[in-house]
Amino acid sequence: MMEATEETRGDWRVVCVKGRADAEAADALESALRSAVEANAKVAADFSALDYISSAGLRAVLQAARAAQTKDRVFAVCGMSASVKKVFDMSGLHQVLTIHGELPC
Amino acid sequence: MVLDGNLKELARLTAETAQFCRLHALPEDVEFDVNLVLEELFVNGLQHGGCEGMKAAAEVELALVPDGVAIEYGDRGTQFDPTLVEAPGIVAATPGEPQIGGLGIHLVRQIARDFEYHRVNGWNRLRMRRPVPSEGK
Repeated sequence: MMEATEETRGDWRVVCVKGRADAEAADALESALRSAVEANAKVAADFSALDYISSAGLRAVLQAARAAQTKDRVFAVCGMSASVKKVFDMSGLHQVLTIHGELPC
Repeated sequence: MVLDGNLKELARLTAETAQFCRLHALPEDVEFDVNLVLEELFVNGLQHGGCEGMKAAAEVELALVPDGVAIEYGDRGTQFDPTLVEAPGIVAATPGEPQIGGLGIHLVRQIARDFEYHRVNGWNRLRMRRPVPSEGK
């Protein structure tokens, strides 16, 4: 089960993602992140309440990052737990995404 | 645990993995990794092995062993030996266009040890172990 909510903090649009970003939730996660990227110049995915991510969730994040790059938007991922960060690190995606320990705003 | 070939079975897989880990007082990072390994194998069978829509498409067995959690996974999908898959190029060889094919199996191979594959009577059978430090049990 995954839940995504949006809020504005300063000049950032923050997508707060809660729960599990597994294969069942991946489409909803991608859709939430991409729609924020479509509509805002600076988007942060706040993963501080994200309990779990699999390769399907990673793909969703990567697709959002690609969409941001195409549209010349800023996209950052922040607040990951140690377990979630480990999955990013194992995948190599930490090398292509902007990752902050805390929210940039 | 027997799973039908349906993505909705993930919730049951997650719940049963959690129950096993809590029963044996395993740390949360172990539960996370076992869950991740099983999801990646099951979803791979659904999306690439033809298991989607099959009744009793996959079987999972977990056991506590002296040096970790023994994971046995089987599915009735097309023959696929993940131990032979080369590490995929998800890493940022080209920063703008990272490749993501094979990412799930790559994660499984990062986590699991003593990875073995056999094809038995139409089943892909995998055995592996997620090590657990002795103080973590």
